[in-house]
Amino acid sequence: MTDDEKSKAGSQRRDFLGMAIVGTAAALGATAAVPGLAFLRPSSRRIPGSASAGRVQDFPVGTSRTILLDDKPVLVIRLPDGEFKAFSAVCTHLGCIVQYSQERSRIECPCHRGVFALDGHNVSGPPAKPLEPVKVEIESGTLIVRYA
Amino acid sequence: MNSRRPSQWVTERLSWWRLGSVESQQRMPARNPNAYLGVVALFLFGLQVASGVLLLMHYQSNSEHAYESVARIAGEYPYGDLVRGVHFFSGQLLVATLLLQLVVSVFRGAFTAPRELVWVSGVILASIAVAFAFTGSVLPWTNGAYVQARVGSQMVGYVPIIGPTLLRLLRCGDEVTSMTLQQVYGFHIAVLPAVFTFAVALHFYLTGAANRATVKSLEGARTIPVYPDGVVRMAAVAVGVLVIVISLATFVQRPLGNPADPAAASPALARPAWFFLPVHALLRSAPPTLLGVESARFIGGALTGLYVLAVALPFIDKRGSRVTSGIISGLLVIAALLAIHALN
Repeated sequence: MTDDEKSKAGSQRRDFLGMAIVGTAAALGATAAVPGLAFLRPSSRRIPGSASAGRVQDFPVGTSRTILLDDKPVLVIRLPDGEFKAFSAVCTHLGCIVQYSQERSRIECPCHRGVFALDGHNVSGPPAKPLEPVKVEIESGTLIVRYA
Repeated sequence: MNSRRPSQWVTERLSWWRLGSVESQQRMPARNPNAYLGVVALFLFGLQVASGVLLLMHYQSNSEHAYESVARIAGEYPYGDLVRGVHFFSGQLLVATLLLQLVVSVFRGAFTAPRELVWVSGVILASIAVAFAFTGSVLPWTNGAYVQARVGSQMVGYVPIIGPTLLRLLRCGDEVTSMTLQQVYGFHIAVLPAVFTFAVALHFYLTGAANRATVKSLEGARTIPVYPDGVVRMAAVAVGVLVIVISLATFVQRPLGNPADPAAASPALARPAWFFLPVHALLRSAPPTLLGVESARFIGGALTGLYVLAVALPFIDKRGSRVTSGIISGLLVIAALLAIHALN
C-alpha cells in the first residue's frame, strides 16, 4: 500500500467509526424516547360519572352553584320559575369558568366578555359555540347531574 | 513546589494569568447594545436561578398546599417576600431584555449572515423565557393563576397540528386539575432551566463563532479590550440591574389574591402577563368567527404563523432591509395600542 492508499483507508475508517458513533447514539436516543414519551402521555380514564348538586329544598330560586363533575366544572342554575338547568361551566371560547347573572338573566364569561343565553346559546362576545348541556335529575329530593 | 505560595498553585491550574495577558488580549465593540443586553440577560438568569432555588425550598407543588405555601413564603419566612419579588421581577425583566435584544437586532440588521443561527437561538431563548414566566405565574395556584392556566393551555391547543397534543401534555389530561399544577411545576423547575442553560451555551458559542468569522469588520468600529475595560463595564451594568430588581421587589406591592377554586367563576378583569396583553385584547374584541374559523383558533394559528416567520427571518430577509425594520416598528406600535386597549 502506498502512503496515499493508507491515508485513504484511514479516512474511510474514521468516516465509518464516526457514522457508527452517531448511529448508535441515535438508536439509543430513539430507544429511550419511546418509553419516555409514552410515560408522559396522560392517562385518559373517563368514567362517565354523576355528581350531586345538593338537595332541591336548599337551592334558592334564582341562584346558581358550580360543582365538579369528573374534574370538570358544571354550572347548575335554578331559574326564577323554579326550573333547573345545567351546563358545562367551561366557556367555549377559551375555557374560563362562566357565571350566572340573575339581574341580566344570562350566563356571562368574565375573561373575554362572552355572553350566553339561559338555554346555553352564545349570544354575544367572542364565543362561537353554545355551552355544553348537562342533564339534571331529581332523585329522592337530591339534584344529580350527569353528561347528556 | 513547597516553596510556592498556594495562590500560585491555583493560578497555574486555572490559567488566570491569561485573562490579562497581552497575547490573549481580545477586543470587543464598545458600542454594541446587544453585548450589554446579553450581560443583563445572563445576570438576570443568574438571579432567577438563585432566587428560584431558595423558593423551591419552601414551595409545595400539591394543589392543596401550593397557595398556602406561597402565602407563607410571602408573609412568614424572613426576606421571603423579597426573594419572591426578586424572582418575579428578574423574570419579567428577563423576558423584556430578550425581546429588546431581538428588536435591537432587527434595527441593526444583526440577524444577517453569518449570524442567522445567533438570531434563531435568540428567538428560542426569548420563547423559553416567556414559557418560564407563564409556568411560574401558575404556581401560586391563585384564582387568577388558575384562569391563566386554563386560557393559556387552551391557546396552546390552538397551535396548528401539534396543539391538541401540547394541550394534553401541559394539562396532564383534558382538564386543568391538580395534575396540571404538578406538570407545570416540573416544566418550570426542571425542563425549562435545562433547555435554557443549553440554549444560552449554544447562543454564546454561535455568537463567538460569528464574531470570529467577521473579525475584519471590527477594524472600523470603536473597540475596547475585553479585559479589563469590557469586564468593568459589564460589572457596572450588573450592579445597576441588581439595584433595579431589588428596588422593584422592595417597593412594588404584589397582592397574592385568592386561592384557586375550580367551582368559582373566573375573576372579572382576569388579565394575563404584560407580554400577552396584545393577544388578550385581540381575543376579547374578535367576533365569534373569522373567515369561517372560530376566532380564538384563527388567532392561535396566526400567532403561530408570525412566530415561524420570526424564527425564519434571517432566511427571508438576507440583507437586513429597511422594510423589515419598518414592519417590526409597525407591529410594535400595534402591539402597544392593543396592550393599552386590553387595560381598559
